[in-house]
Amino acid sequence: MSPGTTDRAVSRNLFRAIATDVHFWIPLSVLVGGLLLLDRLR
Amino acid sequence: MHATRLRRLQALGIFCGFAAGAWLGGAEAPIKLVNPDISPITVSLIMVCGVFLARWSVPAFVRGTAQVRNDVRQAPHLIIWAVLAGCMWAVANTLTIYAIRDVGLSIAFPLWNMNSLLGIFWGFLLFNELHYAGWRRWLGVVGGAVGMFAGATMLAIASSHQAAPGKAVLGVFAALGAGILWGTMYIPYRKAYLTGMNPLSFITFFTVGELVTMTVLAIGYRGATPLWHELVSARPVLFWLMLGGFVWVIGDLFQQYATKYVGISRGIPLSNTNQLWGLLWGILVFHELRGASRAVYAQVAGGSILMALGAAAIALSSATEREHSSWQDAADREGLRYGIEPEYVRAGMEGRARGKSPAGRIAIDWLLIASTTALFVVLAAMAEIPRRSLSLRWAAALAAAMSVVLAAGAVLLWRTTQFH
Repeated sequence: MSPGTTDRAVSRNLFRAIATDVHFWIPLSVLVGGLLLLDRLR
Repeated sequence: MHATRLRRLQALGIFCGFAAGAWLGGAEAPIKLVNPDISPITVSLIMVCGVFLARWSVPAFVRGTAQVRNDVRQAPHLIIWAVLAGCMWAVANTLTIYAIRDVGLSIAFPLWNMNSLLGIFWGFLLFNELHYAGWRRWLGVVGGAVGMFAGATMLAIASSHQAAPGKAVLGVFAALGAGILWGTMYIPYRKAYLTGMNPLSFITFFTVGELVTMTVLAIGYRGATPLWHELVSARPVLFWLMLGGFVWVIGDLFQQYATKYVGISRGIPLSNTNQLWGLLWGILVFHELRGASRAVYAQVAGGSILMALGAAAIALSSATEREHSSWQDAADREGLRYGIEPEYVRAGMEGRARGKSPAGRIAIDWLLIASTTALFVVLAAMAEIPRRSLSLRWAAALAAAMSVVLAAGAVLLWRTTQFH
């Protein structure tokens, strides 16, 4: 396997690990909520 | 981990929590020198620029950026977590501006200060903190945090002179939102330190999220051209604001080490003692509360004592070996999920280097340090000496106390972990 293909596989695994980590969605949802609130406050 | 080593790391984390309080509180001082005519969003943006410079130059000075690269190779997922945490910080900070505008500091501050209670909740739920801790430690940590919350409320009421303005409901939501964002921001922090990341590496990526989000918000809210004009006209105060940002980073760095070694449930409430330091600067240096009634002084004394007692209760409730082993379980789970070498995770938790560390500082590090120093010198030359009345003697005494705390913290961190 070429180095480029290996890098792509590593990145794919990394994003998959983050996307399936429930811990990631908690802060992300809170961030989106904060942005929506800021929009209301403007 | 050996019991003696665990006790040393716990003591170090607790000291870092108190040191964070001193420096985060001291960061308010340069900002108080600034003319209130500048928009709060612009003030935040300028501070974040100072923060950005500090978050790159301090790690370059302490360890060198080669170590940051080494950490990223080991745990690349943490770049995303750090940027996410930085975005959260910037949004929370902007929300506090609206909260103060709409409900005043006395209501807003205690509301967003409940972030430490949320931190305890996330620490328990997601990272096994306070598991097998026993009821005494539970009482120490939760009771201490509640005591600090009550003390902070009293201090905020006593030190606030704002009249209650309109838009109260939105203001309360803004303050609560800031507290929830900051409390939840500690999830990425803990995630990073459980998987062995060095705080000096984490903050370099954290600040990317911080600066980008703050810039987008500032341009979106003020408009690019008006923002630029405001930045240009703020030249005489750029130094004070960026200095505030720089001082804040030192405090935040101590907070990161506290989070790493005693967890979010203990580290965050301890660093919330910054309110006591902010109050000391306000009363002694800026003559705030001068001529206030006896009731106000009683509130300040009562609030300060409550905060100090709460902090002491938390400091005396450090993690037991059994609790620490459950942190290790959480660390193993994270390591497995993200494919991190177990030895890297273990070394990070034990505050030691894994294998041979890369060579010290390289040319780019010196370039970073030199350019940041040069920029601060130029800004200082342009800065105007504030005209407001202040006690230079007390300012020197408090700055000296902060320097002692910094020196002691640096020596302790170096001797115990070599800044790992």
